[in-house]
Amino acid sequence: MKRRALLMAALPMAAHAAPDLAQAVRERLQQPEWLRGDFTQAKKVPGFAKPLVSSGNFFAARGRGVLWRTVKPFASELRLTQNEIRATQGGQTAMKLDASREPAVRVINTLMFALLNGDVSGLAELFELSGSTKGAGWQLALVPKPGALQQVLKKVGLEGDGFVRRIQLFEANGDESLIQLSNQRTDGADEPGLFQ
Amino acid sequence: MSLERVTRRLAAVWLALVLACLAHNAWYWGVHQGAPVTDMLAMLPRDEQRPLAGQATQALANAGARRITVLIGGGDKAQAQRAADAFLRALGDVPARHRVAYADQQAWLTLYTPVRAGLLSPQSRERLAKAPAEQLADQALAALYQPVGGPRVGAWADDPLNLFGQWLAERGQSSRVRVQDGRLMLTDPEAPDRHYALVLIELPGSGFEIGAQRALQPRLDAAAQAAQGQGARVICAGVPLFASAAAEQAEREIHTIGAGSLIGIVALTLLAFRSIRPRLLVALSMAVGLCVATSVCLLVFGQLHLVTLIFGASLLGVAENYGSNYFSARQGLQASERWVMLSRQIPIVSLAMATTVIGYALLALPPFPGLRQIAVFSAVGLVAAFVTVLWWFPLLDGAGRMAPTRFADWLGSRRALWPSLKGRGLAVLLLLSAVLAAWGASRLRVDDDIRQLQSAPPALVAQQREFTRLMQAPGLAQFFVVQGRDEQQLLEREEALTVLLRGMQLGVQAVSDWLPSQRRQHDDAELASRRAAEMRSLLADKLGQPVAAASAASASLAPQAWLASPASEPVRAQWLGRLGQGMASVVLLRGAESADTRAALATLKLDGVTWVDKVGEVSTLLGRYRELMSAVLLLGFVLTWAALVWRFGRAAWRALAPTALASVLTVALLAIGGQVLQLFHVLPLLILLGLGVDYGIFLLEQPGRAETRPFLSVTLAAASTLLSFGLLALSGTPALQAFGLTLAVGVFLAWLLTPFFLPPHA
Repeated sequence: MKRRALLMAALPMAAHAAPDLAQAVRERLQQPEWLRGDFTQAKKVPGFAKPLVSSGNFFAARGRGVLWRTVKPFASELRLTQNEIRATQGGQTAMKLDASREPAVRVINTLMFALLNGDVSGLAELFELSGSTKGAGWQLALVPKPGALQQVLKKVGLEGDGFVRRIQLFEANGDESLIQLSNQRTDGADEPGLFQ
Repeated sequence: MSLERVTRRLAAVWLALVLACLAHNAWYWGVHQGAPVTDMLAMLPRDEQRPLAGQATQALANAGARRITVLIGGGDKAQAQRAADAFLRALGDVPARHRVAYADQQAWLTLYTPVRAGLLSPQSRERLAKAPAEQLADQALAALYQPVGGPRVGAWADDPLNLFGQWLAERGQSSRVRVQDGRLMLTDPEAPDRHYALVLIELPGSGFEIGAQRALQPRLDAAAQAAQGQGARVICAGVPLFASAAAEQAEREIHTIGAGSLIGIVALTLLAFRSIRPRLLVALSMAVGLCVATSVCLLVFGQLHLVTLIFGASLLGVAENYGSNYFSARQGLQASERWVMLSRQIPIVSLAMATTVIGYALLALPPFPGLRQIAVFSAVGLVAAFVTVLWWFPLLDGAGRMAPTRFADWLGSRRALWPSLKGRGLAVLLLLSAVLAAWGASRLRVDDDIRQLQSAPPALVAQQREFTRLMQAPGLAQFFVVQGRDEQQLLEREEALTVLLRGMQLGVQAVSDWLPSQRRQHDDAELASRRAAEMRSLLADKLGQPVAAASAASASLAPQAWLASPASEPVRAQWLGRLGQGMASVVLLRGAESADTRAALATLKLDGVTWVDKVGEVSTLLGRYRELMSAVLLLGFVLTWAALVWRFGRAAWRALAPTALASVLTVALLAIGGQVLQLFHVLPLLILLGLGVDYGIFLLEQPGRAETRPFLSVTLAAASTLLSFGLLALSGTPALQAFGLTLAVGVFLAWLLTPFFLPPHA
């Protein structure tokens, strides 16, 4: 149902064949080496009456990693680098996944970076893409290709213009997240120490 | 009664006995389907044997004996998969596994999800036991808000700390193989961009059937080529490859060394006797020796060890001397003269035989069943071969005069070339020998490590090493065997052991990680639910809304359910099941390769836990056999000298000294040549004692420089030994090579030195 609704909404816009679509979205997006911005996330989790809302900021450096810093309601950090995924709170490691032991870490990191940057070619490796463009705006519906990713994600919705503005995640376990990105900058100074 | 009539009667009796032994052999190997014992540790003294260790090793070996694992790739994933497809196409209808059905992937969750409450990884257990509730709650909340987390099964509220996810992740890390796009894939642990596809080939048939492996080899080569055509690396590993390489090498050597040796010996016989008959009869005497020795050993010990068969048959080679001596003495005589000749030769050959049997029988002194078998086998075989020469040869050697050939005359007359050393000459020889011996002693190295004897092709060894690095699989050469009176006690003992091992920073692969004991499941479930209850109100406060209680899960995992599930496959071979009085399992280790670690592990004392170090034990065994054989060798020299004194009186040293000198020089030359000495260098020295002293006896009986027959006999015997055993020095199998080289050098030296020591005034 939801998928059909999404298609209906897309009708008045220009629909593209897949290669054209990727090209069209790529033309509209900035492709920075270094991106920072703010986020608001509303997550619907089965068993909770109210959505769980959090906000904070993020950094994404091409080829190096992503830092997801939640400020409200609790301070915590999620750092995704080439070699590991590490979650910390108050300087303490709460979770750590090693790429040398868990190859899936690489996939998750590619995915995170691609979602935040709207990296279409990265996404096309993992998902079947469909979508449309309208003026400077674009939207994509992503369905995981058969494989391990299908066991985690049901589908993903992505919207934006020169930057990604909205990410909708539908997880296989029933969790749904709406992430809104704002205030993106590409001009900030590089912080090389961030992903050491 | 004349010697001829006595011999004819004895020959008939002997024929009956030999036929009986032949029938016994035929029954045992053919009808009874008997097979030689192959477990090296069965050669240990009985009270040191540990049947448990043997059974555990056997079970592990059987699990992998028929499997070949191939890694294909080395580049990106797509290339690995393309190359794997090419490999499989070229492999054709050989049954190979490279995909995992979705249902099998789900088997894990089907088995473990209902019992998840009692499954904690060691880290989770420690954290739950120590961390304050506040900290646990924060961790749970952070995971809730983060966009990605560790792998999680089910709803957050059922497992806020994702304990089950962490347990599953830890299980997954026990193997580097991952299912990607339904395929078995592997990533280089040191280069995350290099991917390999995994293909498992399970050979048909049972055990070490060489036929199936060798039939597969060309297909495997073609498939590897197809994959390499896609630019991929191909790494093959598995026991069958080694077995097939060994069989190939053995076959090649039989073709080259074996054929060369046979042609050489036949040519030598034809040259010396202008007839093939002597060679056939010598072969017959040895065959009779082998057959009778096998029968007697089977009757005495009830079984025959493979090592007995190999060593015993080698020791039997000394019997060559008796046949050679018979024909050398017979040459130039009329058929009617053979009985006179024989009555003169009997005491000489008997002494030669007795001195050798003394040496072999000494092997029975140490309390080692293996050595006793070898002693009985070689002594009985030697006597049987000797008896065959004595009782059958006169009746089978053909009528008429055996005309001396020109070659035989020439060869025999070479005896005159050797001067008898005395005084100064002897002193110079001894001085030279002492210098060589001292030089050799300074370079002498001894190493009994069984791995020295490994002879696999270097390319295969390199692939196996790379495979081990990529897979980071635990070693199978050293491990713990754990026993308990029932399954639960076994699992609890395993858990006690693994805690200790993990504390030593060792990688551990144990059944109890996949199938915790009931007690541990119960304790863990209680710990987890107690901490979850403490956390719940804190979480509700922080979230500003109530948190649903975890759905109660109380089932526990039982061994039967685990064994029946496909999820147990990775470690099922380690579950030995019923063994002796109770249940047993094997705990495997990673990172236990260093000698220090192994020594530390060997001293671990826990109830029901036994350390098994097969490589170490077999190496130690080889070392002990080497020491024992060395002692036997020295004792053999002493007893042989006593026997010689009884016959030759004060001249006895002349028969023994050349062999003693040859033995010392052989060891010195081997050491100087860079050989690392082990058992397979000492064993041939014992044979050398038997052979060399025979040369001394034969020559000393008729020491004149004009005597041609003894020298002909000795030279032909030495040449045959060089051509048979000596050529083994060319073998690619280290044990055979050491054996052949030692005997070649030793026999040559003994032959060369003996004439120098003969008395000058004969």
